[in-house]
Amino acid sequence: MGQELPGAALRSRLGLSVGAAATVLVMATGLAACGAGGDDASGDGGNTVTVLVEGGGKAELEPVAKAFTEETGTKVSLVELPYDGLYDRLSSEFSSGSVSFDVAALDAIWLQGFADGVEPLDDMFTDEVQADLFPALVEEAQVDDTFVGMPVWTNAEILFYRTDLFEDPKQQAAFKKEYGYPLAPPTDWQQFQDMAAFFTQDTDGDGSTDLYGTDVKGAVETEWLAHVAQAGSPGMVLDDDANVIIDNAEHLAALDFYTKAVTDAPEGASQVDWAAAQNLFNQGQLAMTKFWAHAYPQIPDDAKVKGKVGAAPMIAGPAGIGGVPGNWYLSIPKAGDNKDLAEEFIQFAYDHNDLSIESALGLAARKSAFEKYAGKPGYEHFDALIATLDGPATMPRPANAKWQQIVDTALIPMIQKAVEPGADNQALLDEAKAKIEEILG
Amino acid sequence: MSTLEVRRTPTRLLLWFLLGSMVVLYAFPFLYLLLTSFKTPLDALAVPPKALPDEWTLANYQQALAREGVVDSFINSISAAVISTVLSLVLAVPAAYGVSRFRTISGRVFVMAALVTRMIPPVAIGVPMVGMMRALGLTDTPTGVAIAHTTISLPLSIWLMSSFFESVPNELDEAARVDGAGRLAALWHIILPVVRGGVAVTAIFAFLASWNEFLFALLLTAIRAQTTPLVIANFQTQFGLEWGAMTALATMYSVPVILLTLVLQRYIVAGMTLGAVKG
Repeated sequence: MGQELPGAALRSRLGLSVGAAATVLVMATGLAACGAGGDDASGDGGNTVTVLVEGGGKAELEPVAKAFTEETGTKVSLVELPYDGLYDRLSSEFSSGSVSFDVAALDAIWLQGFADGVEPLDDMFTDEVQADLFPALVEEAQVDDTFVGMPVWTNAEILFYRTDLFEDPKQQAAFKKEYGYPLAPPTDWQQFQDMAAFFTQDTDGDGSTDLYGTDVKGAVETEWLAHVAQAGSPGMVLDDDANVIIDNAEHLAALDFYTKAVTDAPEGASQVDWAAAQNLFNQGQLAMTKFWAHAYPQIPDDAKVKGKVGAAPMIAGPAGIGGVPGNWYLSIPKAGDNKDLAEEFIQFAYDHNDLSIESALGLAARKSAFEKYAGKPGYEHFDALIATLDGPATMPRPANAKWQQIVDTALIPMIQKAVEPGADNQALLDEAKAKIEEILG
Repeated sequence: MSTLEVRRTPTRLLLWFLLGSMVVLYAFPFLYLLLTSFKTPLDALAVPPKALPDEWTLANYQQALAREGVVDSFINSISAAVISTVLSLVLAVPAAYGVSRFRTISGRVFVMAALVTRMIPPVAIGVPMVGMMRALGLTDTPTGVAIAHTTISLPLSIWLMSSFFESVPNELDEAARVDGAGRLAALWHIILPVVRGGVAVTAIFAFLASWNEFLFALLLTAIRAQTTPLVIANFQTQFGLEWGAMTALATMYSVPVILLTLVLQRYIVAGMTLGAVKG
């Protein structure tokens, strides 16, 4: 490369560049002094409650925060972080012993891990409060018999089905002729299998299947765990004493049921996660899907199934209807500066829990909040959600600090192998057991 | 056409094919991102995936820009990146110049040590960084974020600038000093203009290190100073992923650095080859 010797022109150009950079720096420094994003999260000290919340949950808390500010004059700063980021942020702040927030919205599976860093909330859990919460939420809110979080919203997988197919007289007649009982949303494993097989059809007669009975989600674990609960297992993966029971008969029955549907589902089950399953259903490729209840009001206007979707409780296994609640809790860090105000906010959030239902996600935690809206237009799925959360086999995931690691390194890889043709489910469960015992030490 | 040209034609075609394949390979993810940003929600996650939208829409851009905090996050990203870049250059240029000109053992050790710090995972210093910034009152400010980002970009900046200065012959400094210039004057008026390509390369690396950084922004910001990578990540929630809005914001966030790279392309090419020439 030819190197130019410096001259006046170069110096001038460099001088201009430096001048421009300095101007930008001055502007940037001016902004940097405070940042562009509005009020400080803790700027008002005692008159602001800072709440750390996952992105999706922010919408749930916004109406509550607004009402709290109107009623008390106290501002609420909702600090929105991505799911994994929230966990990392909480971990680092709890580790450092210094926290930047007054309240944190915690996923149920994190409660055990963060229990030592949060205040007990036993006084809030009166008999009346416990009676208005689903049993699994009350159970999950406790770590070592101490309540460490107040449920703020919950969710569960329910059954979505195509009403245009289930109410079609031709389909009804064909089903009755083939299976000997009327076509209606399935309520148990056998009916689900029958209907999944029946609706796997070549509707346009081109020789290839274009409608599937259901999906099989190989890349997520929660749905299989719901079937484990329905099978009547004393626990999911772990029992109450943290013994690994993933190789018991109920886990095997659930895995056999779960993987049997592969023949009635689109190809590539091992890679199907929540987003893929939701889109398969919205595109009209599935007759049924088991999915989180919040998806009901979120069906896009341009979806082929818009206006043609019904909701039913999660199907029942030998132990009855069972689901896995997706609960989130509000907790107060021990190292927080505004504990009284934080407690006041959490009590307010519980008292006004129904405000969250009118958010885009439309979820709450209290039975009374769900019941208030059940049956109203737009909330037709609430009866199914209530029945699932109140199901006799519904149970929370194990309270174990290493649960996420168990899911990522043992459960999901096992399910992905199980949905492949020719898999030996018992051998896979045995292998997963060894892996989980290694994780738990 | 001469015989030589005829022989060269297949080689050229092969080279163009290889180059084209590489461009497609590298550009495809961004192209897919760009196309997805114009798709409807249903098209964005179609199974099987579709390369082109069935229906082109700008709704994702409207949705992304309407989201609270997006514009603020852009300003915060720019502030943090500019401050971090300037800080890196201000500290790295004299450090690297000193090391390259005095050539002491401690100088070599310093440059190596600077490089070794890049091998420490940022997450390992995340917790102490949070404590330090809190003690300094710099949490949730772009200044705090910029200082944290400088810890990432400064070692690389020193290393890069050091190699660029090495490529400039000492005779230039000596000539400047014969003309009466001091060390700093020689650096400012003589050496820096020669390595301007290297400065541009270093500045771009420092800018990109801050522009794309996620972890420190996550740990050190709340409301006021959130940067755009955090806001982009917030489109993925427990309830699903807003692909359309997320890709729209990611596309908009990519434009400034693409423009910056294009504007400084001449300097980058010069800088890339500068270190390869020994004086």
